[in-house]
Amino acid sequence: MTDRKKALFGGVLGDNIVLSGLMVISPVIICGDTLKNAEALIYAFSAITFLSVLISSFVPKKLPYTAKVIIYALISALVYIPVKLAAREFYPESIERIGIYYPLLAVNSLIVFQTEAKFFRMKKGDMIVSLLSCIIGFDIVMLLTGFLRELFAYGTINSRIVDVNTLIGGLSQPFGGFIFLGLMCGVYRFIRGLVSRNSNNDVRSDADVSDK
Amino acid sequence: MFLINDLIALLAANLILSQALGTSTIFIAAGSRKNLIGTAGVITVFTTIGAAAAYLIDLLLQPSVADLRLLFYTIVIGALYVALLAAVYRFANRWFEELRRYIHVSAFNCAVMGTLFTINSRASMDGTMFNLGGYVSAGLEAGIGFIIAALILTAAYRKLNSSKVPASFRGFPAMLVYLGIISMAVYSLK
Repeated sequence: MTDRKKALFGGVLGDNIVLSGLMVISPVIICGDTLKNAEALIYAFSAITFLSVLISSFVPKKLPYTAKVIIYALISALVYIPVKLAAREFYPESIERIGIYYPLLAVNSLIVFQTEAKFFRMKKGDMIVSLLSCIIGFDIVMLLTGFLRELFAYGTINSRIVDVNTLIGGLSQPFGGFIFLGLMCGVYRFIRGLVSRNSNNDVRSDADVSDK
Repeated sequence: MFLINDLIALLAANLILSQALGTSTIFIAAGSRKNLIGTAGVITVFTTIGAAAAYLIDLLLQPSVADLRLLFYTIVIGALYVALLAAVYRFANRWFEELRRYIHVSAFNCAVMGTLFTINSRASMDGTMFNLGGYVSAGLEAGIGFIIAALILTAAYRKLNSSKVPASFRGFPAMLVYLGIISMAVYSLK
């Protein structure tokens, strides 16, 4: 894959924002325990992030960094309002369950920090493709987490009971979310290492800092 | 005994271990003692002063326009962000370059914003907490909770990043599993 393709489509698998960048992980850990929650979070995250980054791309680049960060956060806080109003129509039950994590999606680091570091250095068309791939990457992880945790924690899929022999109730709890996401990150890195045939290509954790 | 009870209460109400708020930030804080002091200090300032401002917003905001709460909280944190940068520039110019990055990292993240929303949520359920003192102490408690969680992670940071851990799990995946185990222990205290 060329560098340009990597930059554009890497957000889906190669450089997933949750599994690789560890961004927006709080809602995945706490609320990603059922498919219904996952659907509601996917809707909210996708709508808020896409619209906010798109609108933020019109903010003058000459402004100081601090001012731009505040403006990006304000834009996403404004975008959040119609998105939440629409969610009341489509996912009325989930809003209650997701609670404080709904507004927190609007201050996610993809909007506030990655806009400056990544998206606004690209051409508009490339930026939209790259942004969509990052959003799809989050959506896939969220769906997978919601599906597996619901299946093994409650023995259901989308609230329908299925025949599962082993139930792990702890998976629905925050600690279950931490452990599940940690394992998922490890498996993701292992597969990525196999695919790229280079297991040391991870930028963030290749340093050995042991005392030895 | 009081101290043990307080410590258990702090752990049980810990926003990172019980609500995963600010997990990404804690990984930065746990990297070194300098990062820990810098990030935890700035986050505590944001949560404490931000909580005081959040009280005023909650006091004035009508329930019918509750969806505007995020916007007002963002304005408050934005103002605090600028004020803190200006204060450091004015009074601690020598360390400005160094402190600036902690302020950037700490301003808009789940740890700070999540704390404000959690306090609001608790206050709406428990009327006795709906006062300035209740908000400020809850904000301070959240900051101290962040420090405790960061210290717990710092204790194992080097080992979780060591070459003895399989490459795929080294670093963040191992730290997430570690936080999960600590979170499980805290859960049992509730």
